Amino acid sequence: MSMAVVTWQRLNVVGKILAIAVPVLIALGLVTVGVAILAGPFAIEFVGDNVPLLRFVAAIGAVLLLTIPTAFVVIFMELKVIARMNLRVGPDRVGPYGTAMSVVHGLKFLSKEDFAPLGVDLQVFTIAPVVVFVGSVMTFLVIPFAPGLFGLDMNVGVLYLFAMGGLTVVGLLMAGWASFNKYSLLGGLRSAAQMVSYEIPLTLSLVGVVLLAGTMSLNQMVLAQSGSIADWYVWQQPLAFVIFIIAGIAEANRSPFDLTEADQEIVAGFATEYSGMRFGFFFFAEYVNVFVVSALIVTFFLGGWTAPFDWPFPVAVAIDPLAWGVGSLVAILALPVVGTLVLAAPFWLSSRITTLQALVIGFILFNVVAIGLVLGWAFVSLDWVSGLFWFFAKSYVFVFFFVWLRGSLPRVRIDQLMGFAWKWLLPAALLNIFVTAAAIVIVNR
Amino acid sequence: MDRALRSRLERRFGDCLLAPVAQRHDQTEIRVSAGDATDTIRALHDEPDLHFTLLADLAGVDTGTHMQVVYHLWAETSTDWLRVVVDGLDREAPRCPSVTFLWKGAEWMEREAYDMFGIVFEGNRDVRRIYLPAAYTSFPLRKDFHLPDDASRSPGRGVRPMEESLPPRDATSATNLRRAQAG
Amino acid sequence: MTERAHRPHPSLDDPSIAIEDVLRESIVDAVPVARTEREAEFYTLGDGEMLLNMGPQHPSTHGVLRVVLKLDGERVVDIDPVLGYLHRGVEKLCENADWHQAICYTDPLEYVASLFCEWAPVMAFEKLADVEVPRRAEYIRVLTGELNRIASHALFMGWFALDLGGLTPILWSFIERDEMMDMLAAVTGQKLLFNYFRIGGVNGDINHEFMSRLGDWMSRAGAQIEANQGLLNENEILVRRARGMGVLDGETAMRMAVTGPNIRASGVPFDIRRAHPYSVYPELEFDIPTRQEGDSLARYLLRADEVKQSLRIIDQCLHQMPDGPVMASVPRLIRPRPGRAWAAVEGPRGMYGTYAISDGTDQPFRMRIHDPSFVHLQLVSLLTPGNLIADTMAIMASLDPVMGGVDK
Repeated sequence: MSMAVVTWQRLNVVGKILAIAVPVLIALGLVTVGVAILAGPFAIEFVGDNVPLLRFVAAIGAVLLLTIPTAFVVIFMELKVIARMNLRVGPDRVGPYGTAMSVVHGLKFLSKEDFAPLGVDLQVFTIAPVVVFVGSVMTFLVIPFAPGLFGLDMNVGVLYLFAMGGLTVVGLLMAGWASFNKYSLLGGLRSAAQMVSYEIPLTLSLVGVVLLAGTMSLNQMVLAQSGSIADWYVWQQPLAFVIFIIAGIAEANRSPFDLTEADQEIVAGFATEYSGMRFGFFFFAEYVNVFVVSALIVTFFLGGWTAPFDWPFPVAVAIDPLAWGVGSLVAILALPVVGTLVLAAPFWLSSRITTLQALVIGFILFNVVAIGLVLGWAFVSLDWVSGLFWFFAKSYVFVFFFVWLRGSLPRVRIDQLMGFAWKWLLPAALLNIFVTAAAIVIVNR
Repeated sequence: MDRALRSRLERRFGDCLLAPVAQRHDQTEIRVSAGDATDTIRALHDEPDLHFTLLADLAGVDTGTHMQVVYHLWAETSTDWLRVVVDGLDREAPRCPSVTFLWKGAEWMEREAYDMFGIVFEGNRDVRRIYLPAAYTSFPLRKDFHLPDDASRSPGRGVRPMEESLPPRDATSATNLRRAQAG
Repeated sequence: MTERAHRPHPSLDDPSIAIEDVLRESIVDAVPVARTEREAEFYTLGDGEMLLNMGPQHPSTHGVLRVVLKLDGERVVDIDPVLGYLHRGVEKLCENADWHQAICYTDPLEYVASLFCEWAPVMAFEKLADVEVPRRAEYIRVLTGELNRIASHALFMGWFALDLGGLTPILWSFIERDEMMDMLAAVTGQKLLFNYFRIGGVNGDINHEFMSRLGDWMSRAGAQIEANQGLLNENEILVRRARGMGVLDGETAMRMAVTGPNIRASGVPFDIRRAHPYSVYPELEFDIPTRQEGDSLARYLLRADEVKQSLRIIDQCLHQMPDGPVMASVPRLIRPRPGRAWAAVEGPRGMYGTYAISDGTDQPFRMRIHDPSFVHLQLVSLLTPGNLIADTMAIMASLDPVMGGVDK
């Protein structure tokens, strides 16, 4: 037996992994460096020539990556909030306070069999969830999350949004038709009727906002609302705000308008025959939609990423470590050690725990404090951080609102739903357009 | 016990009663034949001094020698439950007139009586099995239908087959197994 | 993409048989050969009509009910309930048990309010065996029965909202119901199928734990029930979906042999507790609430009114309950003299009746159990045609059937 084999057998599991991983990583690094040296100049030239294209690709990649955590957070919120409203505990086993529950949901979908029942139109059956998912994910592309943080500043952003919303209908209809199931068919047709009807008041309610802002670009709309809370369009367009929320709930197929998947009537509607990751796409798309509608409400009516009030006292924490003396740098390097010891001391003195445990607690506390300080600094000094904060804070208020509705309201009936759209929302939206246009003419005269 | 009801019933239906009006506790019982059943019940329902408007129950009974259909009726005019027993139905081919023309709600109860006893109700437009599958061939509440594990009725005799008339493919596999073990 | 993910049917491997033929064949087979006039009428499809099979596993069929809907788009043209998925043959089982044992079998019929389907056979057997029940036992029966009635109605409110798409009320009502079930468990020893009533009385006197819990609960029950109903009664969506749905007039209700809250919601004040008094109900003061509308909303609101009356009855029971034994001296094995007896009680869903025939042996010769859910389920095919699929569920829920009782 050769020496190498004996050495290999003596290694434990971690050692074996390291013994393979380290050389592979070194080799990969070398290859990367080599490629960079060889192709670098060309790549830089290419990037310089094609900034918009690359920005587009990067934006789409980022959007796709963003949807997964968004869906996870919304799903977790729904599980937990509805549980609390039902006087239940909700998920509390996976992760701290059950926070990993939605991740486990996702893994469950991935690990299930890719099953298509007998008699389905397999091509359409397979494409349908993808269409629905893409339709809702692509709306992220034009939403401005923070100053300068958006996928594309389209000058037809509003139209793009509704085009993508229309794509979802096609997907649901495809799913309903291809499933070879009467429940699915009913669900698909319900969704077609419902979403086509509600898209009209949804679009018309935004005309007032477009008239006020003078643009269809979402980013420009947010900029037009920047200033203070008084500049938000919700004060000038209260009717449109209400119409948009109601029609938005219907567009996202949420309770009380979730007729497409009314489980007491048509089992799961268009998704009856779906399982595994195919169903997962529908599932994720639904929760992404909830977030998208919330984000759109915030963008159009509540000032997007703008803060509701100016920071009351001027803070401009400019950090320029190079300007500090050497002594300060040493102090900064010593800070973790000193901080850990200082924070550990009370525990070490007061509780009957070992020194090591006290040190671990102190270290964790120090990290919490340090991260808090860094985030606080970023919040007050970096525009996009505070923008992100306000955007997500406002959006999740509306996500909570949607979950709240689901927890408290029964479902409407299909004829009531359609009657409400055509008899009430549509005239109200038209009225809103006329009043807004008249007001603009009178004010500008 | 409502003595007035008894005399009223005797006066009105004296000819067609198969047995004297029986009274016990809060119940009054009359017995009629299948031929008189429709007229009797219609009179009980329609005539103002009787006016038994509420059908409380409809039950089939197998006495071992013949079949019965038992109606329980309630009226504001009486403090008693009225039991109408349609007696003497042929066990081989029991037929009884339906009361769905008076109480449409009797439809399912008659279906149940058909399902359990095989009593065919003439005039009910939906006499088919209600609980048991359509392919089932026997009527389980008849007295000659013994449960396979009926130890109290057949001590030490092992297990009886579900129904002699059943073709083997319809019997459950468990019954076949037990039959094989017993025989 | 031509490959199929799953191939359950062997003939699909045979390339000469097209999959469409197999499917068409299976669809044709699903329509049975008509055996009756009604079935022939139901399975004859008009232009643009389709059959939709709902159940036996479906979220809103309250157990294992199967209904076949004949649809014209979303509109229900006709409906045919198919029963038997929960059929256990209780009547046959009772004929093979002795008189005491038979009561156990009747418990699971009505698993939501199981005291009432004990009560009817117990009363019938007492009439057969001429047993006099002690007055304290009668009061305990009324007390626990009314408590069980409230528990059943509380659950109904939740189910009703759930079938209209509301998630929360069902869990709230289960919490409320659980409190009452705990009380009953304290006195009966079991939480779902109490098996508490015996021939000649009840199984054990009420105890301190029950009384202290009941007193505690009574002091806040009214407010608690009001709060739970506040979530529903003023809900515009619920009211709009239930009002005018499935209207049943009093005349039709009598013809359909309907009893209980469903007939009282149609304006007929028929309540066996007053119409044919039993137990100690003549000594108690309570009203029979009725409503004239006869729609789903009336059936829902009527049950809310009944809960208040039941609270009144419980209060009176607690004040009037005499001391004494709770069980007559009844032998372990009884052989009633040959005869027939019928007894009916007013349960939360309507009339629970038992017709028992004794042939002088220790077992019932015949034991017929009448369950209101079974009768009320017939109304589905009367009330739903012309409405939408969603209303089918709302109407079915408002009739409050329990499949354990329907399928016996």
